[in-house]
Amino acid sequence: MLDHEGRALAAELSELFARGATAPLDDDAFARHAGRVLDYAIRHVPAYAGYCRARGVEGGDVAGWQHIPAVPTAAFKELRLLAAGATAEAVFRTSGTTRGPERRGEHHVASLALYRASLRSTFRAALLPEGPALRFVSLMPAPAELPDSSLAWMIGDVMEAFGAPGGGVFADTRGLDGKGLAGAIDAAIADDAPVLLLGTSAAFIHWLDDLAADGRRFRLPEGSRLMDTGGFKGKGRSVPPGELRAAYGDRLGLRAHACVNEYGMTEMLSQRYDTALRDHHAGHPAGDRDPSGPRPKFGPPWLRSVAADPETLAPLPPGQPGLLRHVDLANLGSVPAIQTEDFGRVDERGRAYVEGRATGAQPRGCSIAMDLLLGAP
Amino acid sequence: MTRFDAFHLPTPPRGPFHALREGDRAGDLEVRWPEPTPELLRGATDRLLAAGEALRQRPVTSIVEATDRVAARFADPADPLRREAEALLPAATGYHPAMIALVLDRMAADWRAPALSRVLDAELGGTAVLEAFVATGGRLTTAVPPRLAFHVFSGNVPGVAVTSLVRALLVRAPSFGKLAAGEPVLPVLFARALAAEDPELGAAVAVTYWPGGSAAAEDALLAAADTVIVYGGEGPVNALRPRIATGTRLVEHGPRLSVGAVGVGPIEGGLEAAAGRAARAVATFDQQGCVSPHAIWVEGPDDRAIAFAEALAGALRTLEDELPRGRIAAAEASQIQQERGAAEMRAHADPRTRLWTGAGTAWTVVLEPAERLRPSCLNRFVRVHPIADLAALPDLLAPARAHLQSVALEGGGDRDPVIARRLALAGASRITTFDRLPWPPPHAHHDGAPPLRELIRWTDREP
Repeated sequence: MLDHEGRALAAELSELFARGATAPLDDDAFARHAGRVLDYAIRHVPAYAGYCRARGVEGGDVAGWQHIPAVPTAAFKELRLLAAGATAEAVFRTSGTTRGPERRGEHHVASLALYRASLRSTFRAALLPEGPALRFVSLMPAPAELPDSSLAWMIGDVMEAFGAPGGGVFADTRGLDGKGLAGAIDAAIADDAPVLLLGTSAAFIHWLDDLAADGRRFRLPEGSRLMDTGGFKGKGRSVPPGELRAAYGDRLGLRAHACVNEYGMTEMLSQRYDTALRDHHAGHPAGDRDPSGPRPKFGPPWLRSVAADPETLAPLPPGQPGLLRHVDLANLGSVPAIQTEDFGRVDERGRAYVEGRATGAQPRGCSIAMDLLLGAP
Repeated sequence: MTRFDAFHLPTPPRGPFHALREGDRAGDLEVRWPEPTPELLRGATDRLLAAGEALRQRPVTSIVEATDRVAARFADPADPLRREAEALLPAATGYHPAMIALVLDRMAADWRAPALSRVLDAELGGTAVLEAFVATGGRLTTAVPPRLAFHVFSGNVPGVAVTSLVRALLVRAPSFGKLAAGEPVLPVLFARALAAEDPELGAAVAVTYWPGGSAAAEDALLAAADTVIVYGGEGPVNALRPRIATGTRLVEHGPRLSVGAVGVGPIEGGLEAAAGRAARAVATFDQQGCVSPHAIWVEGPDDRAIAFAEALAGALRTLEDELPRGRIAAAEASQIQQERGAAEMRAHADPRTRLWTGAGTAWTVVLEPAERLRPSCLNRFVRVHPIADLAALPDLLAPARAHLQSVALEGGGDRDPVIARRLALAGASRITTFDRLPWPPPHAHHDGAPPLRELIRWTDREP
């Protein structure tokens, strides 16, 4: 829970979020809201105040939202970034797999209501632009099993908000319940009830491998769709997104526009999604977009992203690739801008194209990598 | 666009050829490599094994002389060979031309006759034991070289691969080297120059490139070679170790790091001078070497560490111009930004943490307390830690024992021998000064082992 002042600001933001993720927010309105969230963070998170001061930013006034000082995601491993006077309603932790067993990043969330308001609006816009209620079938363990997973919380929340009866959760910390999953899908097919599958790409890869091993395929009912997220690595396997979508088509009967990838992170309470389903529903097919490149991902109007120059962290113009930075008003209670290690670009319309973790570093031989030493017994 | 063939093989390969994916550190260089077909590899290893016969008849002194002549070419700024290396290496590796020039000068010195003689004398008491049975320590012994050495190179420091090939030549073993994507140039130039200088010796060295993890190619070489020398990260080393057959010797030069320690005892030139030397050690190889210091402990009160860190930062700033940091990939820059930003946020929360940075990502110094060794993201990112009593350092480093290589120890005073001994027990294979940290002498124990002896086996003649 935020302090009194924070609660008032949160209430205004919730109202904004409730208007939906498609109601545009013009530059002035965004700047106004961003300025207030920035100002609140400066006055309530002392480390962030120092960080801003070092960049010549003293209050909510900043020359453009792209210049709001962005805290690197790594800082969430080192500090508790929570507004003074607030208590955390939840503490989400990063999975900690990319860097080995070092400290995990922690996001102390002061207002789950704000998280909920943001995620529901954007999810609805991305996955439920139309149609009847869907049975939500999840390959992600329930939040009670993974209390420090922001993704588990999000999936649990949208299931509660939007899921029709007949869905369920078919994974726990021990793994996937392949039998239960097949049962739920068979039942949906028998009832001709469309499903919405949700899970990490890794879980889907694992499940598809199992289906392939058994020679099984499903033809999901018309209107079914899928949301995946996270890196495209199975257990040691990396599958490019296009290839994974082809596998969804082959094993599940899902067309490419019905497969929507979500981009989010523990440190940020808003999300981006592939525009594919929305665009298809609106009658705008993919068109001449490069089919082998990353798909455009839209976010809610209270989230803006920019690519930053890797050497200088200067914001780059639309179209130029760099390290992605996100300004997320839903992050009220921690810090408003996050600098990630994700490489990609942002177009004129504010949609992000995420290539993935910044690459290009060939392993440098006998000198040592961080995760190695930290993993040493 | 300059083209480069990343191979030197006994018979010119027919192809197909592939382009080397350089990653975004490289410049304008089109590198091609041949498909490592079974025929190509078999042909090469057969010829190398045959060349080994002739090699083992050559007096070692003649090998030293031929190598010396090639080394002299690399050392001579006017020589076309040196010029070619200086033209290709920055593009291939991303290192700045000034760094390449420095590395070529220092590495070539290690391949000159005086250095080679020194290592032969230090390790083997001369060349005789390589050529015959010699009476030593009350018995007759002779050194037996590998029949075929398979080297798997890493790309972080140009020259290390050539040194590996030279060591094999000194003990009269033929070599097959698998090049690293990060530095496919220097071993090829060396092999070509050697072949031009001395065809018989040149026939005993073959190098080529294939992407790491090409199992069929690796299997072919593992089957043919009786000695395998691997440089690199955990991945390559761990991938090969289980496939080494009984009877095949594996020499590992896996991932290593180094550190510095500054005691309150007398220091040459004082604390600031030591910081200047430390800066140079950090900057050399852009901190990518196993000899490169990731962190430096400074004994004494906090303001001594602050003064050291301040001076270190000033010296790194000067080195920005004198020895510029090379081109790095987006991922490397991103790591620096993340570590810096996290350190900066900590600094705003804790006054014991301070940060100094260069232009862009050129260099970073973080001063902060630490209970253990935290590896650096490299490319001139160094931590300075205050420590009340230097005697506590060896225990602090001990968990990193498997990966610790060198320690630059200055200001140890009277306690130096004791601390050095304890650092040795903590895993350090070299205890040295900041000046010498990046440049182990040719006869140094590389990762704790003698570089020539680790290739040799011994046979005793009993009367």
